[in-house]
Amino acid sequence: MSDIILFAHPTFGVLGILAAVWVFAETLNATPENAARIRWAAFAVTACIVFAWILGGFWYVNYYYADKAIILKGPWPWAHDFFMETKEHLFFIPLLLALYLPIAAGNKLFASRGARNLVLSLAALIVLNGLAIEGAGAIINYGVKVAYTHPGQVKGAE
Amino acid sequence: MSTKSVMSAVSAPLAQPAASPAKHEAALSSASAAFGLAAAIAILFNTLLAWVKDAYDPLNTAMARLTGHHWITHGLLDLAVFVVLGAVFLRNGIAARTSPNQLALQIVGAVILGGAGLAAWFVLV
Repeated sequence: MSDIILFAHPTFGVLGILAAVWVFAETLNATPENAARIRWAAFAVTACIVFAWILGGFWYVNYYYADKAIILKGPWPWAHDFFMETKEHLFFIPLLLALYLPIAAGNKLFASRGARNLVLSLAALIVLNGLAIEGAGAIINYGVKVAYTHPGQVKGAE
Repeated sequence: MSTKSVMSAVSAPLAQPAASPAKHEAALSSASAAFGLAAAIAILFNTLLAWVKDAYDPLNTAMARLTGHHWITHGLLDLAVFVVLGAVFLRNGIAARTSPNQLALQIVGAVILGGAGLAAWFVLV
């Protein structure tokens, strides 16, 4: 069960990033005809990022302590000290942006260049933050792996 | 309730124009202006709270005691700041004077400051 949650967390994160790219592309071509589609895409971003938050949070609170102990004893302790510490707080930024996105996308984007700029900025920030967080997750995961694959470098292993 | 009526119910309050938009930009809805400013502040609050709880252990402990984990409390406080400030700004119309481009810049600035602030803190501390 723990592994399913662990894999579902970045999966929803990636789906949220893809939905934000969808919002970005639709907003570049905003017309009255795609206004409803933009709002649906914005809601998809919110749903995916909220699921990623809940699943990742559940795993972090209940299971991460074991991986943390392994990472800190391995050759890459900074995978926790920097990447996890930053990631766990950075995640709240795209979460807040994703919660706000449907509100911003509710404007008449086809009629307002400023409103389009706002939605484009939000979608781009969600994509960039999401990619950074996915990358950090990969490094944290590798921090565990490298502790097992380089046991000679594990503190206390000797 | 049909899917269409849910969509229109959600978007209906957002369609109202802001009370006093900047002259050079088309108006955002009142809710967009209010919750946009609230999001920018909540993002900065998130970084500030991360710094303070990391530097002051009693706060971290108190937050952990509140919900069982400091990170859960942290997330709920961020959401509370976003929702409460958004509701306050919506009511008093403060954010309605902000143009969409200004709001976008404020949010981008908050994300850059907030993100860089978090990364710098965990590099230096």
